[in-house]
Amino acid sequence: MWTSDQQQRLLLEHRILQQEGFSQFSVYRNQATDSYSASGTTSSNSGRRYTLYIPIPVGFPLQRPAMYLTDPLPLYAADGRRVSSFGVSHEMHTLTPLANGAVQLCHWRDNRWHSNILLQKVFLKGIIWIEAYEQHLATGLPLANFVRTMAETI
Amino acid sequence: MNTNDSQQQQMIREAMKAIAERKPGRTKLVYDKTKRTIVAVSESDQTPRALNITADDADMFAEVTLSNRWLQERWSQITRDGKIPIRFSSWDNGDAFTQCDLGPMPAASVVEGVVILGEDAIGSTDVKVRVVLTRSEASPSDPSTFVAPDSSVHSAKGWQYVDGKRQSIAITIVDVQPALDARRATILETSVLREKSVVCFGVGTGGAHAVLELAKCGVGRIALVDPDRLSVGNVVRHPGGISQVGRLKVNVMRDLILEKNPDAQVLVRDVAITHENLEMFKLLIAEADLVICGTDNRPSKLLINKLCIEANVVGVYGGAFRRAYGGQVLRVRPKRSPCQECFVAAMPEESADVEVSSVAAADDIAYSDRPVAIEPGLSLDVLPIANMLTKLALLELLDDMPTSLSILKRDFDAPWYLWLNRPEPGTQYADFPPLSESSDEMTINRWYGIYFERDPACSACGDFVGSVAASYGINLTSEELPLLPSKE
Repeated sequence: MWTSDQQQRLLLEHRILQQEGFSQFSVYRNQATDSYSASGTTSSNSGRRYTLYIPIPVGFPLQRPAMYLTDPLPLYAADGRRVSSFGVSHEMHTLTPLANGAVQLCHWRDNRWHSNILLQKVFLKGIIWIEAYEQHLATGLPLANFVRTMAETI
Repeated sequence: MNTNDSQQQQMIREAMKAIAERKPGRTKLVYDKTKRTIVAVSESDQTPRALNITADDADMFAEVTLSNRWLQERWSQITRDGKIPIRFSSWDNGDAFTQCDLGPMPAASVVEGVVILGEDAIGSTDVKVRVVLTRSEASPSDPSTFVAPDSSVHSAKGWQYVDGKRQSIAITIVDVQPALDARRATILETSVLREKSVVCFGVGTGGAHAVLELAKCGVGRIALVDPDRLSVGNVVRHPGGISQVGRLKVNVMRDLILEKNPDAQVLVRDVAITHENLEMFKLLIAEADLVICGTDNRPSKLLINKLCIEANVVGVYGGAFRRAYGGQVLRVRPKRSPCQECFVAAMPEESADVEVSSVAAADDIAYSDRPVAIEPGLSLDVLPIANMLTKLALLELLDDMPTSLSILKRDFDAPWYLWLNRPEPGTQYADFPPLSESSDEMTINRWYGIYFERDPACSACGDFVGSVAASYGINLTSEELPLLPSKE
């Protein structure tokens, strides 16, 4: 099911994560289901820990990989609501959540995604989102106030 | 008053033919204001002979059109049975009868007819339209003459029955494909397009117009892929009309293509242009000489781009900018010119500037707290883009065949083409000088061919993994792919 080009690409993604300061994240292969994912637990500047999870879609890298924040679960907004309840929200930079309530972080939308984007950059945006989320908790202001809408970049 | 005077009928027919061919004839039709009748005048007579007919007599010139090939293919049945049933679309209250088999879209009113060999011995008037073939010495070039497979020549005459009364009707026997070919032959001096195969992904306004134009040019094999149905709102731009609302766009376009090129082979697939249908697309592209991508979203364009590169098939991609203030066309010759991924990398803003013409397109970029309005442009602003896309596609399909279009290759050698319909406020083109004041600055209503290079590290057409690995000093040259860490 996975082409050799995809496997080479995923190996490259893993090596870059390990080598370029993102070693808290790895690309994993689930042999039982012949599927791939990337995940890891990272700490914010305040020391809180968050787990990010990216299931690799069968069309990767052409297909945009979704990124979920799976721990803490549930994730609460400053007003006490679950962040997942915001759904596809510009103010919170979130997309459709998982059924279990894990929040999907908006990194690139489908219409901006292209296959030259590395998972390292996706995780970088995840880390930025986490910092913005903590600012949101501290101020009550929408998360978008702390994250500029991602411009088209390579 | 109806007339059965055969001489009068012949004079009127000649006069009508002369009018149709815009040349002087031996007889003329004039309108006699005092008598409020049309008068046929024969110039060959010493004293012009006026044949008074009323306007009602114009009905006798109802036109019947039927297929020469259809008659040829059924000739053995006609000679065996002496007749064959035939169905006609009835247009304009019986002013024209067109054989239903000529095209896929008959009129709402269909009448039964019969082609009879020899004398009309059928008594019943239930059969509305009758075409009678009789042996004759008429010229084969006469449109009402039929040359049978056994080389016998037959003259066709026709009648229709209105309120039980018999009225004469004019017969035209058409040889469709040669007639269509003849109209193209002065520019496209080749029939090579008949064998060419095109796949069109997305038959919205742009893709639909492009494939229809290619069909008119004679492209013989066309596959259409689109899951959408024609909506009422689509009708202001799409070739499909209000009578077709609710139909799948691929089926609408199949019928319109066959209306223009009845011999075309049209394959339709009403599926989404996503990875789920990858294997189907691979098969379609493998059989194609060219791919047209008229979709309005990036994921589908990048998917088709990748598949075309893998299959080494040229792809032409078109798209309108928002509200169709302009648009662009990219031609991708795999590994020889920049591809869609290269384009995205080289011109990120231009590649992301897309028209939002449907609910799906709006949903792709909207948030629940920031909706996106559907703002389609005008058809007249999309058509220049579709026309350019078609012309580039045509040049690729003609390849090195010498035609009158070959000279265009020098004009269309850039990979990317930009068109602007108006200096849209809020864009980099807002300050364009007026068209009349510019000599060398960019303006609206001109095509600009723009050159840029392939990205050797492109993930679709280059060596992305090798280039990135080298830039990070990572060695991926081992023959066996090391296992990534496993996780349950």
